[in-house]
Amino acid sequence: MSDDSKPDGHSPAEDPDRRGFIKNTSRVAMTAGIVGGYGGFAAIAGRYLYPSRTGEVMWQFVSEVAGIDVGEAIRYKGPSGETINITRMARDGGSDDFIALSSTCPHLGCQVRWEAQNDRFFCPCHNGVFDPSGVATAGPPGEAGQTLPRYELKVEGGMLHIAVPPPQFAEGEAEPKHQAGIIEGEESISGPGHDPCLGGGDGGRNA
Amino acid sequence: MGLRSWFGDRLPVSGQQFRELTNEPVPYHLKRWWFALGGTPAYLFIVQIFTGILLAFYYEASPTTAYESVEYITREVSFGWYIRSVHKWAATLMIVAVILHQIRVFFTGAYRKPREINWIVGMCLLFATLMTGFTGYSLVYEQLSFWGATVGANIADSLPFVGTFMKRMMLAGDAYNQSTLSRFFILHAAVLPVTIIMLLVVHISIIRLQGVTEFKFQDEEEGVKKTFNFFPDHLYTEILIGLVLMVVLSALATILPATLGPEANPLQTPEVIKPEWFFYVAFRWLKLFSGTAAILSMGFIVFVMFGWPFIDGWIRKNTRFKEASVWIGICGVLIIIGLTLWEAFAKH
Repeated sequence: MSDDSKPDGHSPAEDPDRRGFIKNTSRVAMTAGIVGGYGGFAAIAGRYLYPSRTGEVMWQFVSEVAGIDVGEAIRYKGPSGETINITRMARDGGSDDFIALSSTCPHLGCQVRWEAQNDRFFCPCHNGVFDPSGVATAGPPGEAGQTLPRYELKVEGGMLHIAVPPPQFAEGEAEPKHQAGIIEGEESISGPGHDPCLGGGDGGRNA
Repeated sequence: MGLRSWFGDRLPVSGQQFRELTNEPVPYHLKRWWFALGGTPAYLFIVQIFTGILLAFYYEASPTTAYESVEYITREVSFGWYIRSVHKWAATLMIVAVILHQIRVFFTGAYRKPREINWIVGMCLLFATLMTGFTGYSLVYEQLSFWGATVGANIADSLPFVGTFMKRMMLAGDAYNQSTLSRFFILHAAVLPVTIIMLLVVHISIIRLQGVTEFKFQDEEEGVKKTFNFFPDHLYTEILIGLVLMVVLSALATILPATLGPEANPLQTPEVIKPEWFFYVAFRWLKLFSGTAAILSMGFIVFVMFGWPFIDGWIRKNTRFKEASVWIGICGVLIIIGLTLWEAFAKH
């Protein structure tokens, strides 16, 4: 009889309860190790791939208030690449004079275009229609009750500023950066205030 | 003889063992191409890997260089236009062949017990193939491919609970940015092909385990041997189909080479936007119904497609409509063709 034998004469290795316990514990430990180890690695890999989002906004200068006439629209490109139609609706001198609407259709992300003859924004992807205030009136966005997202504006010292998301990448990380600012030329023709019948080939911007 | 014995010493597989390994009995109806359609996309997949590797030598997955590199491949590199066109047409034919293969399996009831799992694996292969087509088209970075990718990501965004996560994972951000193309490239050139290979291994292994479905034809003579050997008979058939496909691909690539539209402009959605033809159905569906309703109904249809062997089993067991699948299948095919043609010919 060995020293570690039980009084009943069974050695620990032969004890079926003990052997079963060790077997089950080993299985649980092995499963936990595999799930924990590889699962942890998968979680790290998933977090590595999932882009971070800060939810922050930054104020960007757009234009002098005096540089935009009532009824005039400009197209602005934010630092992370979003395009925004900014229209002046009144001449009170405050930020309420303006409305800044995203030009990205809330349905599936296409760029809406301004149709002066119909006084509406139109999305060519799925025939979405929005009124000048950005409320969808027809097409899938109309049925879903969607609107063009609005951006906050403020006026300081006669200068119009807009709150936009910061660039997607840190400084010096990747090229090219989106150059924030007013879009000039053909692509700027996209908001209420531009009427091709009345001229304004500069996109409605005559500042 | 020396070389043979040298290999024989190191790889102890006898000729008899090799014959047993490859002599899978293949039913005679597989002599007809219609019944052997599964081999066609497998062959085209090999063509895609080969031409894809060649294209990757010159392609640069960045918004500033992608379009230029595709233009360079098409216009400057010797036979670049040919390789790119074969890649494009093989993708088109691969999707056609996968769909035809699935239609054949559906209408012959080859998904029924005990082959339900292989039907699901086949469905996974169909969607992996469609995803490969979607990501591949996005890599060209022309106007339509850019906006197609944008719309595709936003479709994912409409899914309840996981939509935003999927969209952000796909685009590497809230909107298309300079990291998006490299994600599409990695998905297209690494993740999805490896997934397809793994699914193919499972698909073919299950076929080997279960054997090919045997059919009874009316004009079949009694007492005649019903099968032939996979090697070499069926392999020769597949090689022959491969050669014919190569001729077809070369002809299509020469007569209708892959074109290049205007470069992507994130500020301007084109007047008329359409995805690749195999997404016309989904695109038209999205126009017919509002966002979430369209996505949820599409999700439901996909769910039914995956679970069809079990639904069909229930119908056959509990109702008197034993062949309902045929009529449902005919309706489904007609709706798919109808919506595809509608989208193809409609301006908006």
